[in-house]
Amino acid sequence: MFIHNFKYSLRILFKDRMLIFWTFAFPIILGTFFHMAFSDIEKNEKLDVINIAIVEDDTHKVNNIYKASFASLSDKNSKNRLFDVEYTSLKKAEQLLEDSKISGYLVFLEDVAKIFVSTNGINETIFKFVVDEIAQTETIMHNIFDTKINEYALSLEPHELEKLNSLYDDIYKEVLKMRENSTDSIQDVSSNNLSYTMIEFYTLIAMSCLYGGILSMIAINKNLPNMGSNGKRIAISPTQKFKLIFSSLLASFITQLIGVLLLFLYTIFILHVDYGSHIFYVILQAIVGSFAGLSLGLFVACVFKVSEGTKTGIVLSITMLGCFFSGMMGITMKYIIDKNLPIINIINPVNMITDGLYSLYYYDTMDRFYLNFVHLLLFSFIMIGFALVELRRQKYDSI
Amino acid sequence: MTVFKAFIKIFNKNKSIIIMYSVILILFSVFNMQTSDHSMSFSAEKPNVLIINQDENIGITKDLISYLEKNSKKVKVEKDEDKINDALFYRDVNYVIYIPSGYRKDFLNHKNPKISIKSTKDYYASLAEMLLQRYLKVADTYLATIDDEESIIRYIHDTLNKNVKVEVTSKLDTGHLQKAKLYYNFMNYSVLAGSVYIICLILYSFNEEKIRKRTSISSMNSKRFNQSLLLSNGLFAILLWGFYILLSFLLLGSIMMSVHGGLLILNSFVFAFCALALSFLIGNLVHNKNAINGIVNVLALGSSFLCGAFVPIEWLPKLVLNIAHFLPSYYYIMNNELIVTTEDFSIGMLQPILVNFGIILLFSILFIMISYFVSKTHNKKD
Repeated sequence: MFIHNFKYSLRILFKDRMLIFWTFAFPIILGTFFHMAFSDIEKNEKLDVINIAIVEDDTHKVNNIYKASFASLSDKNSKNRLFDVEYTSLKKAEQLLEDSKISGYLVFLEDVAKIFVSTNGINETIFKFVVDEIAQTETIMHNIFDTKINEYALSLEPHELEKLNSLYDDIYKEVLKMRENSTDSIQDVSSNNLSYTMIEFYTLIAMSCLYGGILSMIAINKNLPNMGSNGKRIAISPTQKFKLIFSSLLASFITQLIGVLLLFLYTIFILHVDYGSHIFYVILQAIVGSFAGLSLGLFVACVFKVSEGTKTGIVLSITMLGCFFSGMMGITMKYIIDKNLPIINIINPVNMITDGLYSLYYYDTMDRFYLNFVHLLLFSFIMIGFALVELRRQKYDSI
Repeated sequence: MTVFKAFIKIFNKNKSIIIMYSVILILFSVFNMQTSDHSMSFSAEKPNVLIINQDENIGITKDLISYLEKNSKKVKVEKDEDKINDALFYRDVNYVIYIPSGYRKDFLNHKNPKISIKSTKDYYASLAEMLLQRYLKVADTYLATIDDEESIIRYIHDTLNKNVKVEVTSKLDTGHLQKAKLYYNFMNYSVLAGSVYIICLILYSFNEEKIRKRTSISSMNSKRFNQSLLLSNGLFAILLWGFYILLSFLLLGSIMMSVHGGLLILNSFVFAFCALALSFLIGNLVHNKNAINGIVNVLALGSSFLCGAFVPIEWLPKLVLNIAHFLPSYYYIMNNELIVTTEDFSIGMLQPILVNFGIILLFSILFIMISYFVSKTHNKKD
């Protein structure tokens, strides 16, 4: 009887096209959209070469220090290239700025550098920053010259005063040298796995796991006498209820795992999602996540005495709300909730799965993963507990 | 009137969907409203920097910290390594600077102490690194010639206060216009999902076999029936559009009263019309109630993701943008981008915007023609 019911449950689930769409196809379609929209975001957030212009014509002369500095910063062969500089007339520079071809231009008005930009922004800020730095280099030279000159001049005879010029040249060279090979006093200790768009794909896995709840709910519904004549007939059959429920659940669990497996294969091999190096734990997390989805479906099927459509609605709403709080519609939402209202995400099953995958990807230690893992199991057993209380000793006077 | 009453009845049953899409739109906009206020003078961008100081807060260490704090935004993060890592991952902090204990002493003794950092490696992090590096370089340069800590600090101040003048040429209120653009781009999703879902459901209900047979034998002539159905749907689309426009006035304020605001509204109206046409097409093509939900989701999410409603259009890969050319949403969103960046609306400047209007209208006509053709063949089959 177990095998019989298991077989038919599987057939019923696989024949329901809408069901298969939502649990199999929809996560894959959504994942494709995510991939298309987000694949370039992080690349775009890196600093790019900034287009600028420097005005140079008969009336506007460019200071030599600036010329040398920009030449080294716009060197095409340097890996620290920051700018693409165009030397042009004032009129042309204004036109380029208006057409948004450049972020800004530099012009010398009576020997004082001035920057023109069309708006505030990161490129504009960096442009200003670099010009500041060049101006500051000049100040450094003046200051050092001032301090040195006093001790130096005292030691000089009056006829040796022209040596001061060579002192200035020495300082100039020294400062420039220091600027170029300043010893690296910064040490980067950040993690390499910083790709935050991965969270989107983790919520997707979590969503797919919990959508599996619809499968188990539908599989259970057909055994419930208050959900249709099929259920009534099954209820009066001389088969152990445990066998019926268990075989239906097993069928839905297997269907669900196939769906999650497909999604995993798709995200790994086609979308190149990075799950970190603990692939075994990732799979374990997905299996337990699917189990949580199954228990959610079981809970909704047994506890709520409403139509199948409404039950589907309940599972979908719980899942989507959970997805919202764990960052599917905006990754920062997960962080805001984690930081300010952590209790929401501690009881949110979608977040338990997402956070588990996140900790496997980003953290070196396993504590956080185990914590989520235990929470997920707890959630599942509580759901199953409620469902079992409802399922026991059902009696109907009339139906 | 009978048709209209039935329409209202079906709408009432499904209004929760409209409420849901509106709530998502409001949440999204409020979420994005917190961006900085705009002023006409230049203000430098500031990265979010977290400084963990293990050294005594005096002398050069104190000065370094105050310089960094002045040029960056302070973030509140618990001083717990896990919390800091989370903050970095979600870009709440762009750059974390760890000043080791004994830094000041080592620095003054020319021991060249190292500062550890954690970085998100985006452009804000690059900016923070520039800030830090600049201070250290200047400090190093002075240290090479001067021994006295106080003079070094004084000279550092003197140097770093040297700033170049910046002038902003654009007279546009970019901050508010960007917010308006975000709102109207996101409206692409709300309008598409809302109108397609409701109109498809309504068309489905009227097209259900039993209902259709009943209406066709009723005394009402089919032309009038179709007209009132068309009118009710059109009215619904206009009301939905009007509701979102009203919301935009509430959320965005005075910027909507400008020429830019007016053009954004006009653009969204043209798009709402296109969404109505598309709804008719899908309503005529799909005869399965359960499928409507799936189609609406794939269609609305798909065109929003591909055309830049959720993600800024300049950040989308080239290939995706090429595909997006086949969707009306692309022209709607392109128009929003054009409108908020145009300074003066001369005929020359308006031309590309008008061309996009034309393309959206062409799409609408195409949708109407196909749906007319589909319903014609469908009726013949009966």
